[in-house]
Amino acid sequence: MTRKTTLASVGAIAVAALALAGCSAGDDNPSSDGPIELVFWHGYTEADGDVLNGIVDEFNDSQSDVHISTEINTWDVIDDTLLPALSSKTGPDLVAMPAERFPVYAAKKAFVDLDDLYADADSNLSDVVEGAKAMTVVDGTSYGVPIGFVPLAIYYDKAAFADAGITEVPADWDAWVDAAKKLTVDENGDGTPERYGIVLPDHATVGNGVWPSLIYGNGGDIVKDGKAVLDSPENAKTLAYWHDAIVNDKISPTGVDGIEADSVFSSGKAAMTFGGPWMTFIAGDAGIDYGIAPIPAGPEEQAASAIGLTLSVTNQGDAAKQAAAETFISYLFNDDNAAAWSLGSGWPPLRSGISADAVADNPTVATLSQYTSFTRPLLPGVVNSTDVLSALDELTQRAMAGDDIASLLTDAQAKVEAALADQ
Amino acid sequence: MTVTSTRAYRPPAPLGGRRRPHGERRRTLTALAFLAPALVILGVFVAWPMLSALRLSFTDASGFGVEDWVGFDNYVRVFTDPAIRDSMVNTLWYTVLFTPTAVVSALLLALVLNSRSLPFRGFFRTALFLPFIVSLAVAAFAWSYLLDPRLGLINYWLQGAGIQLGDVLEDPMLAMPAVALVAVWKNFGFYMVIFLAGLQDIPASLYEAARMDGAGPWRRFTNVTLPLLSNTFAFVLIFALIAALQAFDQIYVMTGGGPYGHTETIVMEIYKSGFRKLDLGFASALSYVLLIATLLLSVVQFVFFGRREKDLG
Amino acid sequence: MSALAVTHPRARRRLRIGPVLAFVAMLAVTAFVLLPVAIIIFTAFKPTAEVNAYPPTLVPTEWTLDNLARILDELPFGRLVINSVVFAGGVTLCALVFDSLAAYALARIDFRGRSVLLIAIIASLMIPFQATLIPVYQLVADLGWINTYQGLIAPRAADAFGIFLLRQFFLALPHDLDNAARIDGAGEFRIFRSIVLPNVVPALMTLGVFTFVNNWNDLLWPLVFTNQAEMGTITSGLTLLTGPGGIIPYGVMMAGSLIAVVPLVIGFLFVQRRFIDNIATTGLK
Repeated sequence: MTRKTTLASVGAIAVAALALAGCSAGDDNPSSDGPIELVFWHGYTEADGDVLNGIVDEFNDSQSDVHISTEINTWDVIDDTLLPALSSKTGPDLVAMPAERFPVYAAKKAFVDLDDLYADADSNLSDVVEGAKAMTVVDGTSYGVPIGFVPLAIYYDKAAFADAGITEVPADWDAWVDAAKKLTVDENGDGTPERYGIVLPDHATVGNGVWPSLIYGNGGDIVKDGKAVLDSPENAKTLAYWHDAIVNDKISPTGVDGIEADSVFSSGKAAMTFGGPWMTFIAGDAGIDYGIAPIPAGPEEQAASAIGLTLSVTNQGDAAKQAAAETFISYLFNDDNAAAWSLGSGWPPLRSGISADAVADNPTVATLSQYTSFTRPLLPGVVNSTDVLSALDELTQRAMAGDDIASLLTDAQAKVEAALADQ
Repeated sequence: MTVTSTRAYRPPAPLGGRRRPHGERRRTLTALAFLAPALVILGVFVAWPMLSALRLSFTDASGFGVEDWVGFDNYVRVFTDPAIRDSMVNTLWYTVLFTPTAVVSALLLALVLNSRSLPFRGFFRTALFLPFIVSLAVAAFAWSYLLDPRLGLINYWLQGAGIQLGDVLEDPMLAMPAVALVAVWKNFGFYMVIFLAGLQDIPASLYEAARMDGAGPWRRFTNVTLPLLSNTFAFVLIFALIAALQAFDQIYVMTGGGPYGHTETIVMEIYKSGFRKLDLGFASALSYVLLIATLLLSVVQFVFFGRREKDLG
Repeated sequence: MSALAVTHPRARRRLRIGPVLAFVAMLAVTAFVLLPVAIIIFTAFKPTAEVNAYPPTLVPTEWTLDNLARILDELPFGRLVINSVVFAGGVTLCALVFDSLAAYALARIDFRGRSVLLIAIIASLMIPFQATLIPVYQLVADLGWINTYQGLIAPRAADAFGIFLLRQFFLALPHDLDNAARIDGAGEFRIFRSIVLPNVVPALMTLGVFTFVNNWNDLLWPLVFTNQAEMGTITSGLTLLTGPGGIIPYGVMMAGSLIAVVPLVIGFLFVQRRFIDNIATTGLK
């Protein structure tokens, strides 16, 4: 009998301890004294992360109402851990993520509607670059701000250009293919060039942007106004054009994906590659004297797909926390910080109001900022970008492998339509 | 030869008829005492989440935010969505490639390692177990590197022998065998160790007796080894089956489901639905369909091997 | 064996060729099996330029410690090792205890509902963990155990696989000794601890190795259940080592894997000795 009561009381204490443990950790402090604590997740792990953390520190120091702590992981890790965190209400208050992941979270209402913040004159958001803002819009409402927006560009080996006697960066597709042919070197004549003119990945490309850029160049598109427009005569011509260039003129290795393309370029096996600003580090590390050029204009227009990242306020916290998070966003976009972030991240400024002089210190930024006018966000507002991009990958991979383009386009169009219907 | 009993102990029936309740209740209580800690952990952290997942499978939940009841819609979609059907075919194909290969090679190697005439047995046993110790993601990277069409040693060496392998992981025919091979490589060492333990449990005297009866090595294998190993065999087979049906890690790293979705398995679809498309309801439904299929397959396999166990008496 | 060989000369001759073939085959198989392991080891010491070079090499022409240095520099390595040991060790210890207790009951005690319970436990293995990850996470978060050791360990402190594996070994044990003890009136736990358990040490070792290795190498679990760098394990910590563009250079990744694997290999070799000893003594009843 006594043993039973002892057991019972031990059990009761254990349960109570567990309950207390559950209470004390995690839940928001109900007290109103002390600053509002916010958590900010981002994936800037290099020197750019230091700059961003520095801005956060300055924000914390500049006032005592809000205190932000950052947690840094890679973008992939953030993607894997955000869902469990949100599901148990232990997620961050501010989170940055790659733009292609953004729409699905926004559509599921993980983020706060920021239309009012944009409309507010004091929020420093009135002159956010149009294309960049478009990345954050789902169903007509904006659920975030851009934190990174840069066009895909051509990074080329200056020494190789000099060797081949090329003095100007190509301005259109024909000149581009010509240059690539000149740059392709097959000294031992075994059919496999030691160096290709360009490395053109045919699937899983950088920021999924290589093929959209080419598609836009010939006046085509993937999804327009919410409808699939992949199957079009323009796109058919685009695919045929590049298939000929790669297979017949052998200007690029085949079957390569975006990641392999980086190592093909950095090991000197290709003279041109598509990339983002990080290529400057990769090229630098590999000892390549690199130059940056815009993606040459296609027959219809000059366009470059954007690599983008967004910053959003989550629904995890209460109204006070959300308001506090919004004050940080305004702070991040003020004149000084917008310029500092641009220089620190090596990406063009996100506000058109930031003058070119302010970012002249970083030549990469200065160069890339010139291309902003023809930079297009990738699949803005498309929630099921996963399936759309996978259909696009299969299309381009099979097309470059030589399959019949007309039937490939029909298939891909059907897949994209199904993906859009699935949202 | 001592007779070993393989049945659980049952107290002899009392004269005057059986009286079940008393002894039975004590046994149940004792069993519960033994089972308690494991049952608490499994109950809280396994059974409850499984029930949660079951409930989620009837909703359109994303894991956070609003969720609505959708009845059997998710389940219908599991069977009508062509991508999902394809992933089922892929998973079956993977299972056919992986399970027999892993189990048979493990058994063969265990048999060889068990023979006392093999020198350096300890070295071989350790070496063959090493792949198990490496994490699957790392193994996948190492194999990807080995199979790289440009930088990989395997392609390079085969080229020297005049064989052009091409890009194995982008080849619709070769990609699945390649990812299955990586799993075989990683797991067979563990199955081998289990078989070894099972083999050690077979008394040498049985082999002696068989040899004296004039049985050759093959006969000894079929009449002594296989029957006494059937328990272990059934066990390893079931786990190899479950592992195959849930294949994910190395495929995610090596091919991402490509080329053209040819290596996309059911669990990859579950991951995509749950974590990429934030459709946790559908992911849960697909998981339960997988569970039921695995259960059915295991029952079939158990019945087949269970029969053998009964034959031993 | 030798007596038989003398009386059956034919058997003896067959014995000669067999072992040689077997040995050669084993060498070939082992070489193939160890090739990726060799790649991991050698690539860890290769400079990036050589990793990307053609023609590919197995053994580095130029050895470098840069990859290792980078890892040790950038990560709070001591802390990560401790966390890995506590996590994997904690899970292993708990699992060995709880699983063996449960397996014993399922194998040796005949009670009502045993089969149903067994099937339920096995069934839990058949659902992929991606499906239960979110509900488990919510549970652990509600308990306030995110970023804690108990949060990492508790959900895995007992596992269906271990129970099933140990049950298999318990079933194979002859009942004579413990039946005798039972008739003598010994309590079930006494029998379990003193008679049955010592006879399944190899099985416990097997499960111990399996559990420890799997948890030590587990990436997603510590990644999801901890979100501070200091609470991570070696494997989750390595994900922080990305280069520009978010890609981990091969050499660094392999060096990290090497560091993660070395303690396991050492531990395994140590257990291996006890393995051999114990495997040799069982089955000789």
